[in-house]
Amino acid sequence: MAMRRALTQEIQNLIDRGRDRQLRLAVTGLSRAGKTAFLTSLVNQLRHAGIDARLDLLKAAREERLLGAQRVSQPDLGIPRFPFDEAMHSLATTPPRWPEPTRGISELRLTLRYRTRRAHGLLGDTATLTLDLIDYPGEWLLDLPLLEHDFLSWSEAQLKAMGPERQRYAHDWQSAMSALTPQDVVDESRLAALAERYAASLSDAREAGFSHLQPGRFLLPGDLQGAPVLQFFPLPGVQESDRATLEALPSTSLYQTLARRFRYYQQHVVKPFYREHFRRFDRQIVLVDVLGALNAGPERFEDLSLALSTLMRSFDYGKRSLINRLFAPRIDRLAIAATKADHVTPDQHANLVALLEALLAEPIKDLRYADVPVRALSLAAIRATQAREIEDDGRRQPVLRGHGLDDQPLLIYPGDVPPTLPPRDFWQRQGFTFTGFRPPASDGASALPHIRMDAALEWLLGDKLR
Amino acid sequence: MSDPRPGRHYRLDEPSPDLADSLESARTYLPAQASEPLSDEESAAAPTLDAALAPPRKRRWGLLLVLGSTLGLGIAQAGETLYYATLGGDWLAGAWSLVGLLALGLGGKALLGELWRLRKLRRHARLRARLDEEWMQPDADTSAHDPMALADELRSQMGLSTAHPHWQSFVQAHQPHHSAFETRELIAHHLLHPRDRAARRLVTRMSGETAVMVAISPLTLIDMSLMAWRNIAMLDRIAALYGLQLGYASRLRLFRDVLRNMAFAGASEIATDAGMDMLSMNVAGKLSARAGQGLGAGLLTARLGLRAIATTRPIAFEPDERPRLADLRREVWHRLRRLEDGSKKP
Ligand SMILES: Nc1nc2c(ncn2[C@@H]2O[C@H](COP(=O)(O)OP(=O)(O)OP(=O)(O)O)[C@@H](O)[C@H]2O)c(=O)[nH]1
Ligand SMILES: [Mg+2]
Repeated sequence: MAMRRALTQEIQNLIDRGRDRQLRLAVTGLSRAGKTAFLTSLVNQLRHAGIDARLDLLKAAREERLLGAQRVSQPDLGIPRFPFDEAMHSLATTPPRWPEPTRGISELRLTLRYRTRRAHGLLGDTATLTLDLIDYPGEWLLDLPLLEHDFLSWSEAQLKAMGPERQRYAHDWQSAMSALTPQDVVDESRLAALAERYAASLSDAREAGFSHLQPGRFLLPGDLQGAPVLQFFPLPGVQESDRATLEALPSTSLYQTLARRFRYYQQHVVKPFYREHFRRFDRQIVLVDVLGALNAGPERFEDLSLALSTLMRSFDYGKRSLINRLFAPRIDRLAIAATKADHVTPDQHANLVALLEALLAEPIKDLRYADVPVRALSLAAIRATQAREIEDDGRRQPVLRGHGLDDQPLLIYPGDVPPTLPPRDFWQRQGFTFTGFRPPASDGASALPHIRMDAALEWLLGDKLR
Repeated sequence: MSDPRPGRHYRLDEPSPDLADSLESARTYLPAQASEPLSDEESAAAPTLDAALAPPRKRRWGLLLVLGSTLGLGIAQAGETLYYATLGGDWLAGAWSLVGLLALGLGGKALLGELWRLRKLRRHARLRARLDEEWMQPDADTSAHDPMALADELRSQMGLSTAHPHWQSFVQAHQPHHSAFETRELIAHHLLHPRDRAARRLVTRMSGETAVMVAISPLTLIDMSLMAWRNIAMLDRIAALYGLQLGYASRLRLFRDVLRNMAFAGASEIATDAGMDMLSMNVAGKLSARAGQGLGAGLLTARLGLRAIATTRPIAFEPDERPRLADLRREVWHRLRRLEDGSKKP
């Protein structure tokens, strides 16, 4: 009997070794959400696992089964490398700087070595997990609903969706458009100029804190900069009732030209991303800068909410959902994280998560319904502050200690985080001012301080390290 | 709901003790969470519901009164006899009353000790309930109570010093931003897992030994007293592992809790186990009748031991961590086989 058991164990080992243990973990979020910081910290923590990284909430690390990680060359040579070294380098300068903003998709491959877990805390054999990390802009996911539209309905929807403040940034483009009708024949350079104005209106709006902006590639064109496929825009004033007349216009008309480009954009920009990248992700974390949105005020906050629910549609695997009909993705676990949790005191973290869940209430419901495991958490990829307490008016007051972005030392209580969306009248009385901090001084050779990166790792890949 | 408090800058030279250094007082000063009436109602309603479901609590004041007054009167009487004996020169009576006083004193001390240990057991149960209620929710509001303060209470309850290596490794792992749920996970790992392992080893050994002893004992009466003796010893040691010193009364109480636990909480578990037991009993058909009895006794001891662990452990087990009878069964079985084979050979 003992011999048979030994034999089955042996066979199991063989199977484990033969099976390709591989995981593609994708990180996304809207611009400035903290994607680069997250991935940099993630790679850094895993590299330092078992040495000086504190990953106590990651079970494999807590049980001292995680042996370490190594970078290996990535398999997809067509995708840019994730700029890990550059990011670490800027964190290690004096004074430390945050990594540069990135554009587009990038990738990095790690192999993790760990010991498997057997019953009663006994250690098993060593095993390897190949981890592909992918960073891509959340803006690209905003384009998914675009696939449901044709040019006419998209134009209508876009113009309807602009709120009063948002309209301000589009004003310039709209006045240039007012002289044009759908049947005009417009030459290439004029079209390019108009498209440029439209793209400028989008990026102005984004600068001003708006997030729900389409088409997503106009903001982050990557290698498509200046290509005619990005030279289209919604047509103001067109209506569903005019469809027949519009469809009958000659192919040189403004309407037909734009519609052609729109279709091309759908087929050759939006779909390939889903087909070639998105479909192959196993795990996904969506980063959300909730605090930044609170700073920006009510209209931006609602806009973020809208953008996020659009973005989350890409993860809704209900049988009849758009994404499932088109691409059959395989993400089987999802995390949603409020980043930069080190901007508030630890007692506010619960509120931060509550607010994030309130912000995403609808998409989370849909996900639960579609049985996609999802978890919301708050984290700071790179913790720039220290939690302290001071005596204030005889009360003990939690505060943060760190350095402002201007390198000045700060001791600050940043304010409460509301657990639900604040009512309208609140914003008039008082807003939010969560200040930024520069990264902590680091020599580049030790593990970066963090908040709950270990919890995120446990959720995203803990089950693969058993 | 009141508005969220706005941010505020402080002077840098403001004395700022590290959060981790000032944990005792932290609980009272963390800003109170905006109160939501719904959850308040819920938490207010929950205890009454619990109380209604729990077995009625009887305080045996009458018994205590009788015991106490008997002791008091006995002391008074012995003192009186002693007094008159010294006056009257009746040395023998004096000596007897002295002996009586001594006996009463010892009895009183034992009684007080029992009460003290019972109190400790009750405190343990309360702490356990709090750990489970307050700490179970992953997103539970952390500001209402300070996890570190509760952790410290647990530490002193378990009788660990602040310098104990297990506590030290916990303190090192714990960060000010960890929520109650996360703290609980760390406590389970650093403080409880080593004790779980020891407790498991203990149960395995004791149940194996009981099985062997019952198998070789010639008389049923001896079997029963063997079982009782072994089981009580096991209970004592398991409780001691989790920081409980048991007296006579607290032992009885714990024993009762464990039995109740076996009867109610573990009903489904017993049902599945029973099926497995039948299976192994089938195998036991190949054993002699006495060895079969031993197997039964060993399995019962093992089950009692596992239940005792589940009852005394300050934090309930995670579903996948709970030690299972199936793991112990094999051990008991092997011991008996070895016994049988050994007895057949010569
Ligand atoms: N304090 C703190 N600030 C952070 C953290 N992560 C990101 N930030 C801030 O957020 C800014 C944006 O972070 P990035 O990681 O570059 O964000 P991104 O999503 O990669 O941005 P893009 O590449 O522009 O899309 C940083 O420059 C920091 O100021 C964090 O963990 N803590
Ligand atoms: Mg980036």
